[in-house]
Amino acid sequence: MSNTSELFAIAAHLHVLLRRRTGRVTDTEWLATNVEYARAIVRFTREKAAADGHVDLLPWADKLEAAIVNMGAAPRKTMLDVAAEALRAAAPPASAPPPSEEHKYVGGLR
Amino acid sequence: MPDISGPALAALDSLSAADTAWVMVSTALVLLMTLPGIGLFYGGMVRRFNVINTMASVMGIAALVSVLWFAIAYSLAFTPGGSFGGFIGGLSRAGFAGLDHLGQSGQVAVSHIAPHLPESVFAMFQLSFAVITCALVVGALVERMKFGALLAFAGLWLLLVYAPIAHWVWEPGGWLAQLGALDFAGGAVVHINAGAAALVCAYALGPRQGYGREPFLPFNLGLTMAGTGLLWVGWFGFNGGSALAADGRAGLAIAVTHIAAAAGALAWMAAEWWARKRATLLGLCSGVVAGLVAITPAAGFVGPRSALLIGVVAGFACYWGATGLKRLLRADDSLDVFGVHGVGGLVGALLTGVLADPAISGLEGSLLTQLIACVAVLAYSLVMTTVVLFIVSRFAGLRVRADDERQGLDASLHNERLGG
Repeated sequence: MSNTSELFAIAAHLHVLLRRRTGRVTDTEWLATNVEYARAIVRFTREKAAADGHVDLLPWADKLEAAIVNMGAAPRKTMLDVAAEALRAAAPPASAPPPSEEHKYVGGLR
Repeated sequence: MPDISGPALAALDSLSAADTAWVMVSTALVLLMTLPGIGLFYGGMVRRFNVINTMASVMGIAALVSVLWFAIAYSLAFTPGGSFGGFIGGLSRAGFAGLDHLGQSGQVAVSHIAPHLPESVFAMFQLSFAVITCALVVGALVERMKFGALLAFAGLWLLLVYAPIAHWVWEPGGWLAQLGALDFAGGAVVHINAGAAALVCAYALGPRQGYGREPFLPFNLGLTMAGTGLLWVGWFGFNGGSALAADGRAGLAIAVTHIAAAAGALAWMAAEWWARKRATLLGLCSGVVAGLVAITPAAGFVGPRSALLIGVVAGFACYWGATGLKRLLRADDSLDVFGVHGVGGLVGALLTGVLADPAISGLEGSLLTQLIACVAVLAYSLVMTTVVLFIVSRFAGLRVRADDERQGLDASLHNERLGG
């Protein structure tokens, strides 16, 4: 099964389960194509599973989350991760490349 | 202790044995700074084929200055000078005349500046300062000056530049001493003076062939590090000995000397790390010297915290002096004598005016007085060094032939070469 077909299958299955267990109606096609919407539904599914005891929802939330990665989305980063990456990009390399012998000691020792 | 206004005979039992011993040890330490300290420090930084010439220059200057100091320069610097006493001393001690030790009658010659020491000890201690000051200038003129011209220059410079300035500052009748200028161990007399002279020499000689176009690889920075170590330790005698006593002030002088040296090294290293993304051995050595130079005028007047500040400021300032300022001045001051000694001396002399603690010495600093002293020494040294170089150039010419410079001065001037 291709990734797209698998994603649509998971989305459809979760759509049915959510409607039955929680009454929430989802947009299956949008769920299979939009990362942010899919993440929001994963979060909603887990919250409902925890709050109302619908543990049978959890495996499908996990499946959808795994499938999101296959949609080409990068794993979600915290603000701390983003800030640390920005700092690392701005900082000079830990070990600068050695100065060229052509320029070292030309016009001065120091 | 006799109260005298000029060199005189004193009873042997009026001397302090402890002070005498300490100043004798300090004399040896200061001489070690030049031989081999400066020889190694400079010898490591020049190119392989000019190492022997650099070391020979330091050795030759040490010998010549010693003889001239005995012959006349000590007298010009450290005796009262009569009607010209504010500017130059007299000739009463020429040839070390009167430096007697009369064991049978229980008398010994003493200087009015240190009447608790034999004058022979005081004169030798000051000789070691004259030697190192003249040797410092070598760093600006290495790799291209005729050896005979160098010696002639050093001799004349000692008599016409160093001795008068030492008299101004350190003889109690000198005009800068009368003004209240503070220079504990030679920030102005030694370092500003040598730095200014170095700058003039660099301009007068012109740049070395290939300067600014070819890399001038230092022979062995390990030698430079060894020289730095000797300078650092020797400076305990330089500054500690300048107390002219084995007392608490000498101890404090040694403590502040060490702290400033360490702070200078760290500050230079930090500046270099920030600007060039790496720390270098030569940078660390240069920072040590920068801190040592800057604490020299202040050593007997400031406490340890001030010493730390002086060292840090000197480390940053001298880094700029040896890099940014060097580019601005456009002089081939080959081993950065002005950038390190001139700038460091100015920093130390001025900060002495700000940071001097009257509780230590009873003397109060004045930034204005220090500024006057700095400008006077700088200007006199610049002008008179120019005069001395002009005189020498009329008789000997300053620069070696182009072929000799290309071949290297070790072979062309000394017919010697490094082994290995």
